[in-house]
Amino acid sequence: MLDALSPLGADARFEREGVTLTEAPHFILTQVAGDEKMMKKAFGKLPAKVGAALANDNRNIFRIGPKQFWFVGDTIEASEGVYVTPLSSGRTRIALVGVRAREVLASCATIDFGTSQFKPGHFVMTGIHHTPVTIHCVGDNRFHIYALRTFALNVWEWLCDAAEG
Amino acid sequence: MRIPCPYCGDRDHSEFRYGGDATKLRPKHGTGDLDTWHDYYFTFENPKGPHTEYWQHVLGCRQWFKLTRNTATNAKVEP
Amino acid sequence: MTAFRRTPSGGRIDRSIPIAFHYNGKSATGFEGDSIASALLANNHTIIGRSFKYHRPRGFLSAGLEEPNGLFTLGEGAETIPNTIGTTTMLKPGMKVKSQNAWPSPTFDVMAINSLASPLFTAGFYYKTFMGPTKGAWMFFEPFIRRAAGLGKATPDKGHERYDTRNAFCDVLVIGSGPAGLAAALNAGRAGARVILAEQDCELGGNLLSTQLESEENWRRTVNDELLSLRNVRILTNSTVQGLYDHNQAVISVGLNILEVVQAKTIIHAAGAFERPLVFQNNDKPGVMLASALRTYLNRFALAPKRRAVIVTNNDSAYTVAFDLAKADVAVTIAEIRAQPSGEMLSSAAQLGIAVFPNSGIADVLGDKHLQAVKLSGRHAVIIECDVLGMSGGWNPAVHLTSHGGIKPVYDERIASFIPGLFAEGQFGAGAMLGNFGILEAVRDGNSAAEQAIAKLGLKPTTRKGEEPSVSEERPYAIEPKWVLNATDKKAFIDFQNDVTLSDVKQAHQEGYLSVEHLKRYTTMGMGTDQGKTSNMNALAIMAGLRGMAIQDTGTTTFRPPFAPLSIGAIAGRSVGKHFRPTRRSPLHAWHENNGATFIEAGFWQRAWYYNWAGSTPESAYIKEMQVVRSNVGIADVSTLGKIDVQGPDAAEFLNRVYVNGFAKLPIGKARYGVMLNDDGIVLDDGTTSRISEAKYYMTTTTAQAGEVMSWLEYLLQCHWTDLDVHVASLTDEWGGMAVSGPNSREALALAFPDEDMSNEALPYMGVKDITFGGSTVRLLRLSFSGELAYEVHCPANYTISLWEHIMRAAASLDIKPYGLEALASLRIEKGHVAGLELDHRNTLDDLGLGKMASTQKDYIGRALRQRENLQAPDRWSLVGLELMEPDKKIRGGAILFAANDEIKGHGRGYITSVTWSVELNKFIALGLYKGGLKHEGEVIIAAFPIRNEQVRLKILSPHFIDKEGARLNA
Repeated sequence: MLDALSPLGADARFEREGVTLTEAPHFILTQVAGDEKMMKKAFGKLPAKVGAALANDNRNIFRIGPKQFWFVGDTIEASEGVYVTPLSSGRTRIALVGVRAREVLASCATIDFGTSQFKPGHFVMTGIHHTPVTIHCVGDNRFHIYALRTFALNVWEWLCDAAEG
Repeated sequence: MRIPCPYCGDRDHSEFRYGGDATKLRPKHGTGDLDTWHDYYFTFENPKGPHTEYWQHVLGCRQWFKLTRNTATNAKVEP
Repeated sequence: MTAFRRTPSGGRIDRSIPIAFHYNGKSATGFEGDSIASALLANNHTIIGRSFKYHRPRGFLSAGLEEPNGLFTLGEGAETIPNTIGTTTMLKPGMKVKSQNAWPSPTFDVMAINSLASPLFTAGFYYKTFMGPTKGAWMFFEPFIRRAAGLGKATPDKGHERYDTRNAFCDVLVIGSGPAGLAAALNAGRAGARVILAEQDCELGGNLLSTQLESEENWRRTVNDELLSLRNVRILTNSTVQGLYDHNQAVISVGLNILEVVQAKTIIHAAGAFERPLVFQNNDKPGVMLASALRTYLNRFALAPKRRAVIVTNNDSAYTVAFDLAKADVAVTIAEIRAQPSGEMLSSAAQLGIAVFPNSGIADVLGDKHLQAVKLSGRHAVIIECDVLGMSGGWNPAVHLTSHGGIKPVYDERIASFIPGLFAEGQFGAGAMLGNFGILEAVRDGNSAAEQAIAKLGLKPTTRKGEEPSVSEERPYAIEPKWVLNATDKKAFIDFQNDVTLSDVKQAHQEGYLSVEHLKRYTTMGMGTDQGKTSNMNALAIMAGLRGMAIQDTGTTTFRPPFAPLSIGAIAGRSVGKHFRPTRRSPLHAWHENNGATFIEAGFWQRAWYYNWAGSTPESAYIKEMQVVRSNVGIADVSTLGKIDVQGPDAAEFLNRVYVNGFAKLPIGKARYGVMLNDDGIVLDDGTTSRISEAKYYMTTTTAQAGEVMSWLEYLLQCHWTDLDVHVASLTDEWGGMAVSGPNSREALALAFPDEDMSNEALPYMGVKDITFGGSTVRLLRLSFSGELAYEVHCPANYTISLWEHIMRAAASLDIKPYGLEALASLRIEKGHVAGLELDHRNTLDDLGLGKMASTQKDYIGRALRQRENLQAPDRWSLVGLELMEPDKKIRGGAILFAANDEIKGHGRGYITSVTWSVELNKFIALGLYKGGLKHEGEVIIAAFPIRNEQVRLKILSPHFIDKEGARLNA
């Protein structure tokens, strides 16, 4: 068997007063594209807008464009008119938790992370240190940051540096 | 400068890439002679004032869209 | 010289907390609440620097941000901070303060000789000396001027200070916390808006911090406390709004170390106003200050002029200063420029024992270094001994930020100054910056600006109106502008920081530099760190007078960010050192790191350059690594290639359009090399695309163009070919890959995948198949960049290290070795494959010898414009192979190519793009672009490298140095 290795690994843990960063590996991420009717047939209800994830038992569905979605959770198979691209290796998921988490995010991205604006369930696709990231609010002051794998260490170090402040 | 992404909303300009003049009609694939393509690719009005351009939300949803803005003030203009 | 004394009580200093600090190496003491300026004045340091050009002694002019003279260097060594404004920086224990632009000390300055040589330094000195026919003078003057001038020196050492940049969002940004800003923030905050209140000072209050009136202070404190209690109001002190940009974006420097970018829905400008100096002989002498500064030093910092103050004014505001001084037992005389000041003022002055000389002015300021007496002008040409002279030429609203978006301010006769023109969408003004100088007026303005902002935001206005301070209504501000008090001399200063005098402005006028923008550049007026906050208005009014024009028609110079000096560290934020730019790592990075790789930066990527098994320098290692590939089997990381998932029923048609060669009929299980052009007919990129299944393709791009190609495909599909049912997704991060290359590569993979048929029949050249191995999908592609029998093995990036290790282990008996980027790039030169150095967005297919690839059967992007006359010219620079004819010499990348008989001069006939040692030919070979290309095959030409004065002879050959027939690929 081949071993699966994430770019940051279990040792990746950074703690400061009010903020903790860890890698949250072992997730299944699939990009799904195609005709919306066919996708609805395959998956049922889909989120109408970019920005709020639709969560059910085993998956979070993010609309990432007019015809594109991210499914995080279970394995997704292609079907007629539904095109899937597995991306579980292509993204590295970083968990950012703590009362200072929003402050850390504010020093990294040009997004309004105020509690009244960015609530649990919300997500944004934006940039951290010039690289694309998807930031998902998974609870009060709890966030998942999906970074490109090849930039993961770079984004990690940038976040740790921000959390140092 | 804020740029309105039709999918993600207003975002900082640093998340976007510029894609040029969107007022010109690209010749259909398989058509157009040298002159037609020359005019399409090389000649521009470059107006000061309202102008429609392509932008891509490259650090975001990666969608291309048309934006009409005043090139002198960056104010959004209804197309 | 003692000009000031501490008052026994009052002020905002805490006399129970002394603060020890150092000034120019000597110990001194101030109090908690002191600024550097007030502490220095309290310690009798009235001369704190020398002027920029003439090295004249200078003291503090102001008590605020506009200060032109009082700049200091703080700290030492790596923690040095130059150009700190002493009037706005609060004193801290142990602070090390040094004066600038003075050597050896401000009071004894060897460069003061410049003062005698001053005709040399008049307006246009720089222009005339360095731009004109006497340009050579620069060589002589440069070190002299550089050493003498300069406003502080930045340290080259790396300090420990942390700098950062952050983002914030709000409904209402209030700029300034004087009475107008406080009222605005309070009302917006009570209405529930998200408010940011930015104040440059360390405390809220603005002008109210300089008051003696208890009612004003009580109001300030009440509002301050309520603002602190409102959770939706963020208060930023020590925070200067430095610039306003499109769509109400503000950049604020928070302290020295943080830059905050605020996106505001609305902005309320309450930035106040700056007092302006008057222009008269020796008005720069230490002891001559803005009148309002005397009030601030007295009421806020408990510093009174020792015995006597003279005030010269053309407006009412300076009377408040005079009254406050008189109440502190200072003898005050007012030189009143106006013939008929208001009776109310005169009677109040009389009650306090203040002598007022109407229709008067200042003829001269007397004293050696520091002011000792002033000589009045007009009918009462008396000499008055005094400690300080306070001057007030009126007030200039701080219109700077309102103009950053390009809106010009307009002249307002009522206050003889400029006020904001229009406000940008969602922006409002209040208080002194509108020319409304009274406290009550400012509070009412602030309330109303907040109401407008709230309405704009669609919020419900607060039911609790902001209370007003209980002060009596002020009489309207009155002023009679007089821009020059005596028009004769060279020592009447307009710009204190840049030493621009009245006669400089006259000279600019005489020499035809009439517009204010020219005046500024010719005299350097307003070009210092203070950006002319105290000087611009006087200069342009004087120029208007000289030209006989209205001030409105003369206009102002352009206001640009930053509003005040800020640290470069805050602008850079955390993007320094290893975070200067992002770095990108292959999924195999950790393996390379643990196995002796040396890395090299290639774009954002950190790539394995060579491995220590092969040598300790790149020059020695890459040759050994190449030899392994040519003679045995090597393994290299190719994960950096761009990889794109192309799916959908129209994928074949799509690919057939974007590549110049045919892709419509690519069979499943096959890869094809393809080249893409831009619309303009120039080569965009090359790579292979494989057909994985009926409607699914796997595209690879060059490392360098991966992002560009992805955006381009998205552009075509989303903007133009919306009828094509095709979906693209980047796999660059999802998939890793390795090249397994060399005559023994098949055997190596057969060992690694014993269950797979690796025969030439089962997986021929350009064959592709997906297998499942060890729980993962593995994609085997029989591709070769090196020209040898070779494969690429790709798999999802989570498994690449494990797969690479598996292949290394399985093929250990063959002595498989890793090879790095240098060998990878050199092997392809021997084979004559073009790469990034040749694909430089200037070359056509034909230039690269790829013209035959273009289909004549179909249309493809770039086909029409490829036919442009210039692109079809017969003698374009095109790809050639080159070999070195002089074995003892070297070929250098970038060398310029000349024909044998050419004069070695200019741009030549082409250049070298890539060079390598050929392990197969045992000589240096290169690829290059040469005018006429292979038409010159066999000719001996010259490669010149002028910066090393080298020339070598090369022979032009086919770029395919090895295996022209491709026997190895198909083996």
